[in-house]
Amino acid sequence: MKKELKIKQKERTNPLAHVFDDFIRFCQSKSLFMLHYCTGCGAIELPPAMTSRFDMERLGIQPMVTPRQADILLITGYVSIKTLKRVILTYEQMQSPKYVIGICSCTVNGGMYWQSYATAKKLNEYMPVDVYIAGCMPRPEAVMAGLQRLKDNIRNDKKEHKGSAWKDYFKRYDYYLGNQQALFGEDWQTPTDIIAEAKLYGLETEETYGKHTKLLEKHQTPLLPQEMRIK
Amino acid sequence: MNKVQIDEILNKVNGIKITHKRKTRIRVDVDADSLPTLLELIKGRASYIHLSAITCVDWIADNQFELVYHVWSYEEKCLISAHTRIDRGSEKNPAKYISVYDLFKPADFFERDIFEMYGVTFIGSPRMEKFILTEWNGVPPMLKDFDAEAYVQETFKWTDYNPDWLQELTDQGGGIAVKPEDIRTAGNTHNMSTHRERDKAKAAAVKANDKMQGWKQ
Repeated sequence: MKKELKIKQKERTNPLAHVFDDFIRFCQSKSLFMLHYCTGCGAIELPPAMTSRFDMERLGIQPMVTPRQADILLITGYVSIKTLKRVILTYEQMQSPKYVIGICSCTVNGGMYWQSYATAKKLNEYMPVDVYIAGCMPRPEAVMAGLQRLKDNIRNDKKEHKGSAWKDYFKRYDYYLGNQQALFGEDWQTPTDIIAEAKLYGLETEETYGKHTKLLEKHQTPLLPQEMRIK
Repeated sequence: MNKVQIDEILNKVNGIKITHKRKTRIRVDVDADSLPTLLELIKGRASYIHLSAITCVDWIADNQFELVYHVWSYEEKCLISAHTRIDRGSEKNPAKYISVYDLFKPADFFERDIFEMYGVTFIGSPRMEKFILTEWNGVPPMLKDFDAEAYVQETFKWTDYNPDWLQELTDQGGGIAVKPEDIRTAGNTHNMSTHRERDKAKAAAVKANDKMQGWKQ
């Protein structure tokens, strides 16, 4: 069992706050933009799910081309260690609230590539995953059902607390960073300052910091704009 | 160019063994020393100008690597596969061979790939460095003595999946025949010292599977 992590909550004085929250959750669940990061073979099920046959748009879900404007990160298929780096960079660029869906058995447990030295096995060790859609590969109906589940989770987040997995990344950043460092080496650093973001969202807890974040602080270099040139 | 003519050219190389597989395939076995000579000869004299691939095979029992150079001729529409064997080397003294980059420019790409996957250093190749596996710091992964399963068991964790409804099915006599955990432990080598132990565990897993199959019928 995960223990409850306490966050410093801002005092809310507006008597209608929870009504607004409900309304926001309702709106969020009705309009989701999806970034599909097609790492493996599961991507082949997305075109029929998105286009006229199954038509994802009737659920209010549309594809989006950039992580900065997307709500859902859809990871379809095996994630190799090299790709995982890019997936994490993409995930960290997305604006909160953000949701991750792992499609295919490979994201759950390595799938048929479980013996491979090159693929990461559990996606939720490196980023919080909202919904897993298992199958090799899941049919568009299953993809739609998974997305519907995510919508329900967002809508009923107040009661069930299933739709806010993204907060976990800020609350337990040390854990996720530790797993990432175990794969990519100790000098792993992303261009996004997660701790600063955690402070901004008010999601700092005691597990945001730890020995891994200390390691990060040692070699973290401030961000500079990259020079554009052709080699 | 007919069969006799190409044989005449190939036979200029010492200790060569020629096998005509088909009209479009010729297998050639040569010593490691005379392979560059052979490639130069067939490129210059017989229009074999396209090096389409270099393959490496790890023959761990013979302590050798087999390198296969596939060279294609557009005029003859024929592929010559030149097989050669080099010493496998050891961890301290890795295998070495001469590069054919000066003859075929695409060799750069293939040799770099073999260097990464098998650890064979090609002397004279322009870029002997990391290529695709930029995140990899271990031994070359395609070697037969690299145990990928043991590596995976040490590096990664697994998701447990035992939901209540599955337990209900198992109680009624259904459920999953062989659990993924059992397959994984059967292949788990890092706490099993000998191959015999590992084979034994694998046999046990197969037996369990057969039992379930028989029971189902």
